[in-house]
Amino acid sequence: MAVSFDRARLGALKDTVAVVGVGETDYAKDYRGAGGQAVGKGEARYDSYTLASRALRRALDDAGLKKDDIDGLCVGGTLSGERASEQWGLNPRWSGGGDAAQCIIEAALAVNAGLCTTVALVYGNAQRSMDTAYGGARVTGGGITSYFYYAPWGLTSQGALYALFFQRHKLLYGTTDEQLGAVAVAFRKHACLNPNAVMQKPLTIQDYLNAPYIAEPLRLNDYCLINDGGVAIIVRRADMVKDLRQRPVMVSGFGWSEENVDATQLRPRLKTFYHGAHHDVAAQAYPMAGVTPKDVDVFATYDSFSVHLLASLEGFGFCGEGEAGAFVQGGRIEIGGALPCNTSGGMLSESYMQSWNHQPELVRQLRGGLGNRQVQGAEVAQYVHDVAGKCKSLIYTRGA
Amino acid sequence: MATARPVRAMDPYAEQFWAFTLSKELRLQQCSACGKFRWPPGPTCDRCLSDDFAWSALSGTAKVLSWTTFRRGYFPEYPPPHTVVALELAEGPLFISWPVDIAPSDLREGMTLELRWTDAADRFGEYNLPVFGPPSVRS
Repeated sequence: MAVSFDRARLGALKDTVAVVGVGETDYAKDYRGAGGQAVGKGEARYDSYTLASRALRRALDDAGLKKDDIDGLCVGGTLSGERASEQWGLNPRWSGGGDAAQCIIEAALAVNAGLCTTVALVYGNAQRSMDTAYGGARVTGGGITSYFYYAPWGLTSQGALYALFFQRHKLLYGTTDEQLGAVAVAFRKHACLNPNAVMQKPLTIQDYLNAPYIAEPLRLNDYCLINDGGVAIIVRRADMVKDLRQRPVMVSGFGWSEENVDATQLRPRLKTFYHGAHHDVAAQAYPMAGVTPKDVDVFATYDSFSVHLLASLEGFGFCGEGEAGAFVQGGRIEIGGALPCNTSGGMLSESYMQSWNHQPELVRQLRGGLGNRQVQGAEVAQYVHDVAGKCKSLIYTRGA
Repeated sequence: MATARPVRAMDPYAEQFWAFTLSKELRLQQCSACGKFRWPPGPTCDRCLSDDFAWSALSGTAKVLSWTTFRRGYFPEYPPPHTVVALELAEGPLFISWPVDIAPSDLREGMTLELRWTDAADRFGEYNLPVFGPPSVRS
């Protein structure tokens, strides 16, 4: 397929918008009931709008902005844009929605087009209260996708699709279970430094290996959490971010590419590990931001499964193809290592906000002052979003 | 009574695919304009956008790409452990199935497996499910 992106036009958007506020709900507290035990699935306590509203209030307060400063709205998770706008008394001049990376890119485009100046990006998902299923007989849909198409053969769940992915990686490159386990162990270590992370119990590599398989070769701790929460992010035109409450974090680079051809067949998943999309996005985002992977101080990847990190690291050139198993060893991806990854604990150990919780963490790392979770001297942060080949990336830099 | 399986995703093209399995024929749509096989079944060739196609019979030969063993139950019809394989059909498309007459521990990358059939039924009716096993112990 022809390269269709325009480097000059993309480059002109560098640092034209900034993240000025972030807000999240109390993941850890909300996960536990009165007795301190996890609230069971389906024991409804929250709805998505309650969580999203709380996050929005916190993000506005973090930015030092008022609701009336908002003129654009993006929603994610289970929210409807119309109902969310109504709930918050907003008549936006522009609206969008989707995953967090998509929303930030869309907001940057809308602001640059002159449609709006200050966009609230808000996510809410009461998936634990609602007992949302991501595999099995309750997962059906209006179209054909690999999520449920192979049910007659017993194949279901994103986890099993990533199990096929990891098994293929093992077969081709000799990657081991112990190597993959370093991902869950590192993210849990980070979660233990984050009081808002759901998972607070340390995890050793032995604990990881002793935990049961779900879809072999993936084990329990390769899977993300199912919890309730909300996240809000305020994105504003860069010439309007002086004198706000926080140091701005610039949106310096982004990219977008999707590998959907033969997706239900799992061809891009199993034949190339989605590296085609990764390479496209890397070719957009790094030159736009004027950085290379070597400049990235703190990294986060979509991590519904630990396996995502291996694919991202290889696809974006942090290591060669087939080398990610070795790369994640020896503390390299831990805070204090060469490339700290998912420093909040990620979706494996902090909160499964489907890409949304990664953004506040990267923003806070660039603001500084996170105590023993702080990546020292962090100036460049990267997020990689890769959900079944729908790939985007964001490069944030520390603003003035 | 045929063995109950988790329900199929059904549309007019899938209906035709499954109808062939009643006579134990594995057929996929092949584009009459450019020759590309497509799977899952659908209205249009994704390579050339033609909607002319024929249901071409497949050789039934495939190579193993990957596999996973469910250790947790998701469908009552498939209690754990249940192993699923990802195959590359000789004609090109990738195909999901499950292995017969071979232990999961004996599966190997690139190994050739051949088409078998097993009985199946869901709320759309009875059909045969294409499964794959080693050529050497073909019954």
